[in-house]
Amino acid sequence: MKIYNKTINKYLIAILFTSVLATACEKRLDVFPTSSISDSKALLSEGDVLVTLIGTYDGAQAATVYGGDIMVLNELIGNGENINFTGTFAGLSDAFKAQMTTNNGNATGTWGSSYSTINRANNVLSALDKVTSSATKKSSVEGEALFLRGSLYFELVKLFAKPVGDGDYAANPGVPLVLTPTGNVSEADYKARATVKAVYDQVIADLTRAESLLPSSNGIYATKWSAAAQLSRVHLMLKNYAEAGAAANRVITGSGKSLAVDIDKNWFTYIYNGGTTPGEYLFSMKMTPQDGTNALNTYFGRTISGISGSAGRSDCKIKAAHFTQYETGDKRKDFFVLSGGNYYTKKHLDRFGDVPVVRLSEMYLTRAEANVRSNTSVGATPLADVNAIRTRAGLPALTSITLAAVLKERKVELAFEGQGLPDAKRLQNNVGLLAWNAPNLIMPIPQREMDVNKKLVQNAGY
Amino acid sequence: MRKKLLWSLLASCLFFGTAMAQNSTVNGRVTDEKGDPIVGASIQVKGTKVGTTSNNDGVFTIKAANGASLTVQAIGFETKTVAAAANLNVKLVTDVRALSEVVVTGFGGSLIKKELTGNIARVKGKDIEFMPTASVDAALQGRAAGVFVNSQSGKLGQAVTVRIRGNSSISASSQPLYVLDGIPITSQDQSTYGGDMNPLTDLNPNDIESIDVLKDASAGAIYGSRAANGVVLITTKRGRAGKTQITFNLQSGQSEATKRVRMLNSTEYNELALEAAKYSDDQEDIPYDDPYSYTQYMKDIMSYHSYGQWDKDKAKSYDWQDQAFQTGQYRQADLQIRGGNDKTKFFSSFQHLDQGGTIRSNELSRTTGRLNVDQKANDWLDLGVSLSLSRIYNRRLPGDNAFSNPLQAAALLPMSPFTDPNTGLPTGTPPGDVNVGIYFNPQIQIDYAKYTQDVYRTFGNTYFKAKLLPGLTFQSEFGLDFLSQNEERYYQTQAVRNTSSPRGEGVNTGAFITNYNTNSYFTYNKLTAKHNFAATLGMQYQQSQAKYNSTTGTDFPSNSYQKIASAATKAGGSSSQSDFRFLSYFLRSNYTYDDKYIISASGRMDQSSRFGKNSRTGFFPAVSAGWILSNEKFLSSNKYLSFLKLRASYGLVGNSEIGNFPQMGLFTGDAGYAGNAGQRPSQLRNDDLRWETTSQVDVGIDFGLFNNRISGEIDYYVKSTDGLLLNVNIPATTGFSSMVKNIGKLENKGYEFVLNTQNLVGAFKWTTNFNVALNQGKVTDIQGQVIEGGVGSMNRVQEGYAIGVYYTAEWAGVDPANGNALWYKNTKNADGTIDRSTTSIFNQATRVVTGNPNPDVILGLTNSFSYKGFDMSIFFNGVLGNENNIYGMGRYSSASMRYEDNQTYDQMARWQKPGDITDIPQARLFYNNGAQISSRYIVDGSYIRLRTASIGYTFDSKKLSKFKLEKLRVYVSGQNLLTFTKYPYWDPEVNADDFDSNIAKGNDFYTPPQPRTILFGVNINF
Repeated sequence: MKIYNKTINKYLIAILFTSVLATACEKRLDVFPTSSISDSKALLSEGDVLVTLIGTYDGAQAATVYGGDIMVLNELIGNGENINFTGTFAGLSDAFKAQMTTNNGNATGTWGSSYSTINRANNVLSALDKVTSSATKKSSVEGEALFLRGSLYFELVKLFAKPVGDGDYAANPGVPLVLTPTGNVSEADYKARATVKAVYDQVIADLTRAESLLPSSNGIYATKWSAAAQLSRVHLMLKNYAEAGAAANRVITGSGKSLAVDIDKNWFTYIYNGGTTPGEYLFSMKMTPQDGTNALNTYFGRTISGISGSAGRSDCKIKAAHFTQYETGDKRKDFFVLSGGNYYTKKHLDRFGDVPVVRLSEMYLTRAEANVRSNTSVGATPLADVNAIRTRAGLPALTSITLAAVLKERKVELAFEGQGLPDAKRLQNNVGLLAWNAPNLIMPIPQREMDVNKKLVQNAGY
Repeated sequence: MRKKLLWSLLASCLFFGTAMAQNSTVNGRVTDEKGDPIVGASIQVKGTKVGTTSNNDGVFTIKAANGASLTVQAIGFETKTVAAAANLNVKLVTDVRALSEVVVTGFGGSLIKKELTGNIARVKGKDIEFMPTASVDAALQGRAAGVFVNSQSGKLGQAVTVRIRGNSSISASSQPLYVLDGIPITSQDQSTYGGDMNPLTDLNPNDIESIDVLKDASAGAIYGSRAANGVVLITTKRGRAGKTQITFNLQSGQSEATKRVRMLNSTEYNELALEAAKYSDDQEDIPYDDPYSYTQYMKDIMSYHSYGQWDKDKAKSYDWQDQAFQTGQYRQADLQIRGGNDKTKFFSSFQHLDQGGTIRSNELSRTTGRLNVDQKANDWLDLGVSLSLSRIYNRRLPGDNAFSNPLQAAALLPMSPFTDPNTGLPTGTPPGDVNVGIYFNPQIQIDYAKYTQDVYRTFGNTYFKAKLLPGLTFQSEFGLDFLSQNEERYYQTQAVRNTSSPRGEGVNTGAFITNYNTNSYFTYNKLTAKHNFAATLGMQYQQSQAKYNSTTGTDFPSNSYQKIASAATKAGGSSSQSDFRFLSYFLRSNYTYDDKYIISASGRMDQSSRFGKNSRTGFFPAVSAGWILSNEKFLSSNKYLSFLKLRASYGLVGNSEIGNFPQMGLFTGDAGYAGNAGQRPSQLRNDDLRWETTSQVDVGIDFGLFNNRISGEIDYYVKSTDGLLLNVNIPATTGFSSMVKNIGKLENKGYEFVLNTQNLVGAFKWTTNFNVALNQGKVTDIQGQVIEGGVGSMNRVQEGYAIGVYYTAEWAGVDPANGNALWYKNTKNADGTIDRSTTSIFNQATRVVTGNPNPDVILGLTNSFSYKGFDMSIFFNGVLGNENNIYGMGRYSSASMRYEDNQTYDQMARWQKPGDITDIPQARLFYNNGAQISSRYIVDGSYIRLRTASIGYTFDSKKLSKFKLEKLRVYVSGQNLLTFTKYPYWDPEVNADDFDSNIAKGNDFYTPPQPRTILFGVNINF
């Protein structure tokens, strides 16, 4: 019986061992991520909504969005006249040559990141009822989300759809409009392109409401004036000159901002200004060493010995032809640096500089253009507005004003800030050898998007 | 494992060995060729049921009639029959015939290959011992049928692609599960920079006794949801009773890169570049002497990037590619001590390896130690521990797609000198002009930046095994696998053009992975005259936790300060954690009747933290059967056919390697902006998410001819995977680009053929091992998803084709009339036919499948020879029928001056005048003339390679005994000695690290070639 007992003991050990392990383990299968949280717990309080709003700014700050690519593309596409693009990024190189294919990496990137940001804004807008601390806080949160959503739809429709004025914009396809946050993906999430007009209507609705909700000052975030400035651009695009001028006038008179005395003060945010946003900026994306990539710097910038902190890939070399547009004595003509036999704009040398989305001097030029076109003097005479910009640039004041003079001033003042292509399209000016409405000045709907969503139609020429 | 079989043999002997008459007592000892005792050999009196087994000293006692014969058998040795005598010394010869091999089946199981009904391929540790292969997965290459291995590049310690019977997943991992002495180990990349590293490098390959690759479902089902990509069971060496054996092995040698690509010299570049510029000027009506002409631009470039030297001497040329390479030094010392007695047995080893890469600045060193101890506590309890500690230091290279990748120097202009004549420093180094060199000069990275990785790895395992009743044992084991990794990168101020950090940049990261595993199982064996039954029942629990952190600092006081403590700006920091857990129950049983009919069944129930709450538990059953025809009467007397078995298996296995938490809807808190914290929706929820299920049918024949001197296996399998864990593309307008769903099906079908022959068996021995496998993979359903990857998104998942086929426009050559690049339109005509006319307008060409990165055929051939003291082994492996994608470098350097990059020499054969017949379009500076994505850049990647060869001489042991040496062998071994291929770039065995994924295979992006290594070694036994 001794053997029997020993066997029993051995059995007991084995059975105990197994059962202890088995019961101890079963509960352990519920593990959760540590740097992410469940979507069901993400938007329950005011704090949750506020951090999602920050997340929306973060989305807009992506290099492919307002981190700079949108501006870069709006300067680069077809712009062989002013720029010699020698970079190797095929997406930009093909954009520069106006030889984009449907796989263009920048088309895919900017499209995707913009919609990702829009989804974040939609999440904020869906949870506004959680913002209960004050009505002003709630207004501000809603206004900021609407401002970002409206701005991005405006950028998307400019890049990916036919310009206003080419055919019937109420019939031309714009971009899909998504106005609610994505939960479970269903057939309804496979959206067709809304018309260009429908997109513009949404943009105007978002920005108008944003302007009414936003506070006058809001730190580094969007203000009433950011929305109004963006709205002036939208109306200019739609040739609603009176509304454009009025919006610009609201900014100039209401924002309390004034033109910087020296154009240098508008740049080198980080290198010389310790990261302070220039006073003339109405909206910009902040870049810090911890966060964000300034894509304007990436492609237009260059490491210049003597400017510590300057950086960039030296991809956008400014052609001599560009300088013929400046008058002698124009300080802006000197705002270039010669390095390695090529000229580079000084606007984007600062690696951690703010990426300006819109600044005050444009409002003067927009108001001037609107007033010249409508033969009005809303806010000020167009001559006074243009001269304000000219004298700041060290040029003599004009004595009379023409539309051409306003547009010329606009071109040199805003050079390489992302207004080149939209201005050419709305003014119906040729881009190099291409007509303003050439299909290859419009970005293709990304191939992956065409492949996955059969309701989309591709742009002409792709 | 072997012991258990013997134990059952012993049991059988005891059962039936009692009834016979006995005459006289035979005392004997069974030894191997070297005189070491063989423990547990079975000794049987011929024609009777009398038998016994040898003890731990190989000694046995048996009663036998005078004049009787004894049959002496031991696993792994050839059976011998001897005449009974009072004092016998039986020396058994090692059985090298494959059918006598024992394979490991997991969870304590093992089987003689003869009785196997599933498909398990075994690679013996001996075959890969002391070869210059740093990791066990690379060592599998060509040695097991159906196991495809691609070492990806010549970088040291880099990840290796392993595919067992094809690629069976699109979004989840397709790498096999690696199980080391019972513990599923961490085998995924942990690096944060420079391509995937290989955690299997942490294991000393010379510690390995055997590698068993579970290929079919019946072998794999016991690993359930983790077995769909195959399971690699690695068993380390253990102690042996008997004399303590001390082996010392020392080897030293050199490596060189296997190939160079011919690039243009200055004269050639000048000719091509100016010709290209002339075209572009003509095109845009720019006078050549216009300061803004293309011609002038090109001249300026050549002058500027040569510090003006080009203006004086147009022929002065620098081979930048050569700057990337170096001769790597290889030194390795191994010490192994193995011994024990009937109570305690141990194996211990120590290794130090120093390996210099063939790419400059790449180096790896490994120091490892191991101790495996087995203790027999009493007659029913065995205990054991094993512990391996290792430290790997790897000075790594940047990813292939980095300007600082040394091989990208090949793109620099040949007129750019290596050093700046003004400063004497490498070209582009400050205080000189940092913009000289059309790209960042990788030399600066080599001299002024460093990226190192230190890994500390512990593998530990402890077990006990209790014999509960005759035939019934219980075993429980607890294993751990700790991986601690620190990576440091430091870029001095000189690397500013690469880092954009003018005052230095440092990055420090940590990864800490703790992985625990326990297995507990009962094993039952019952052996009678006709029936043999074995069963295993148990459970497994694994939990793994990974913690990561990183810190980035910029602005250092000077280049002397290289730790983040000195960084004025802490530019970034992060920490994160990720967990997974598995709980499983498994059962396996085998039944053999009369040594003829075998059936086997197994199943596993798996639960995992990785899956949706609606589908957390999966069941994976398998059955198999075998029929040994050669034991049937009608075949048993056949003179030639010594063995014949038919077998078939069917089962289900799963794949759950989709990362942790794929099922959850998530927000992530990484969306801060300008110093304020933010969150973003980051993942869509899927409560129904479950494993991919692969069902596999395998039918096979095992045969032996001429007393098994020729043996082989033929297998046919069909592997169907359903419910793929797919990163399903969804419209980006949702704010997400994809979500994980169980969608889609794919299939792998193939043949495997193994042939082992003993061609000569006398004093001159010659054996051949040959294996070849044909696999055809096909994606049968992905519900219209378009999934792309790789360089230029050229790899695609397309229904009806293998995973990752190249999907591009089809190249149609060059128009002899005007030098335009041409493509086939391949558009559909109204009548449904395909328009095969050509076009020079790229957007008019439809994309079609133009190649497949997956090979049709993989093969391995080993020939081993020995004569007296000499031994030689020659091993070829081959990969046939696959295509590689060279667009990564091709778009820049084989692209008719699309960019200023230096061009490959083939570009000189460009079209120049009407009538020229060539495949190289006219050179057009900054114009896209053929540089677009097309099959022009899809090339044959087949190769046959003399992978390893060794020749050695073992000195006569008698002569050595006076030096107290037991064995002395000197040898020369080589790796990658010859390559037969048509591949135009560096190495056909390529997979650019920065693009690598399941889908993106076969891409070359200035990827460093494999090293050719030659080593001299000496192996001493005391």
